[in-house]
Amino acid sequence: MANVTHAVFASGRQVREALGLLAQGGVGPEDIEVRSSIPLDEESLGPAGQRLRSRVPLMAVLGGAIGGLAAYLLVALTSRAYPLVTGGMPIVPLMSTAIIVFEGAAMGCILLTVATVLFECRLPRLTWRPGPFDAELAAGKIVVAVRGKPSPDWTTGALATSSPGAGVPSPGEGGERTPNGRD
Amino acid sequence: MASTSEGRHEERIIRPLVGLRPGLVAGSLITGALVALLLYSWGYQVRNDIGVTGLNRPVFWGFYITNFVFWIGISHAGTLISAILRVTAAEWRRPITRCAEAITVFALAIGALFPLIHLGRVWNFYYMLPLPNSRGLWPNFRSPLMWDMVAINAYLLGSVLYLLLPLLPDMAILRDRALVEKPGTLKALFFRTIALGWRGTPQQWHSLEKGIGVMAVVIIPVAISVHTIVSWDFAMTLTPMWHSTIFGPYFVVGAIYSGIAVLMVAMFLLRSGLRLEGYLDNRVFNNLGLLLVTMTLLWSYFTYAEHLTLWYGDQASEIAVFNERVWGRFASLFWTMIVLNAIIPLAVLPFRWGRRPAWTAAVGLCILIGMWLERYLIVVGSLSVPRLDFTVGYYQPTWVEWGIFAGSFGLFGFLYFVFLQLAPIVSIWEVREGEHHADEPLTSGQPSLRPASEES
Repeated sequence: MANVTHAVFASGRQVREALGLLAQGGVGPEDIEVRSSIPLDEESLGPAGQRLRSRVPLMAVLGGAIGGLAAYLLVALTSRAYPLVTGGMPIVPLMSTAIIVFEGAAMGCILLTVATVLFECRLPRLTWRPGPFDAELAAGKIVVAVRGKPSPDWTTGALATSSPGAGVPSPGEGGERTPNGRD
Repeated sequence: MASTSEGRHEERIIRPLVGLRPGLVAGSLITGALVALLLYSWGYQVRNDIGVTGLNRPVFWGFYITNFVFWIGISHAGTLISAILRVTAAEWRRPITRCAEAITVFALAIGALFPLIHLGRVWNFYYMLPLPNSRGLWPNFRSPLMWDMVAINAYLLGSVLYLLLPLLPDMAILRDRALVEKPGTLKALFFRTIALGWRGTPQQWHSLEKGIGVMAVVIIPVAISVHTIVSWDFAMTLTPMWHSTIFGPYFVVGAIYSGIAVLMVAMFLLRSGLRLEGYLDNRVFNNLGLLLVTMTLLWSYFTYAEHLTLWYGDQASEIAVFNERVWGRFASLFWTMIVLNAIIPLAVLPFRWGRRPAWTAAVGLCILIGMWLERYLIVVGSLSVPRLDFTVGYYQPTWVEWGIFAGSFGLFGFLYFVFLQLAPIVSIWEVREGEHHADEPLTSGQPSLRPASEES
């Protein structure tokens, strides 16, 4: 069993205080995992919040470029594959092709955005299994998991805590990774 | 975070998802009967061919295209409005986004069905796909119908994903509840599957919020492009009162107008039926009512500008259609549209009492009827004035078209009733987030989003 302690908190303020105590006790963000049913801001998460990174905007732009290029190629190549008689008009006109390119760019952007979100969230997680305090999490509480043996002060404001290691799936058992705040 | 009283409010969101609710079952059955009517009517048309409709020379576009434009317009209720409110960080959006986004997905799917019904020989649909047909021909991307096909599919794809992405955390909440309260049930399995293993870690929230933010920005121009392109189906022809540069923005304004109207009606029904007064409170109706006043003025402006230009130009072919619409055969429909779309909203909504839920829903219903009439007048009105001698007769929709028309509303209701029983109609996590901001204003400038009853 992994030596992990879970604590349930009612508010972001309490989490902030608990994380502050953990930081004072020398526990690094990589040993802390916060789970919540709402997005917590960086102030609540302390150092762990500043480590959050996402490539979604970059990938969205890339998806748009790929989608737009693919749409242009679709129009240009299929139109030239069987060139209809257009009476001197262009076979791949800029005005109408731009519409398809725009929609293709939007589709590419949306698809790559969603794919990046799923990748960064490590979803779908086929090996997901229920964890400790899931019901409390669903009820709107915030669950903090800490690896190691920090000073017990940090759970002062908690509604409930788990004994270190008790009932906690270890890495590999329940598809959980180490509680490092980054999943 | 969620206190006991807030928890009681949440129970009202979750209640339709647990067990069988008689009202929802009855609603599903009634709307299901209308879906059966749609299928029967469509099946009859497929068996006997398109001649069973009232379509004939000179009116080749009738009810089906009217309904197509109408439903695509309705689809602007959700994703576009939700995206605009998200981008502008309007806190009062939180309880209405899911309800609106679901409208978009279902209305868009129904709207996209109508060109297929209008095809008659629906099995030839694959001609529109980028595949070479038996003669080696590819789709003609220079045709506005192909633009339509691409744009609607882009919007449908975006809207479905825009609905599903913010649904993940809510499905995880329901999964965690179900695994405690009713483990092993089909619903628990469903929630577990759709939640995809969501855990609610900071990185997951960070990526999700970035993704929703990007999609909100991207979906706005896509939504606008869809109804613009629908308008170009008409405007790219040389038909009188269709060939107009104003049609793009005119259609977009009309779409947003009817979209907000349907949202009003849907929210009122949800509020009454599911007792969601704590979420869909008077403030939401008041704000959307004010938005509707703006859209009424915009729609009236566009309608006036469109008709003024044609009347002033006085070209023979245009003025013939204009006269039929305003003073002739279609005058009763035209003036009913003006009353429903401009006069009633402006007589009711500017006043505070007029922006109460029941009034806004009633006005929304008027606007929906008025907007359907507008689409009918545009589609059938212009085509009914022949420019060549050989006309067969005036357009009269047959029972098949009426059946499919009624069935489309049944299908919309049916899909909505099913959705109500599978997913929370109010986004739980977004509302909780608003309450969290109200409780702990860690970031400045976040107004309260407590349910109205809590505030009082």
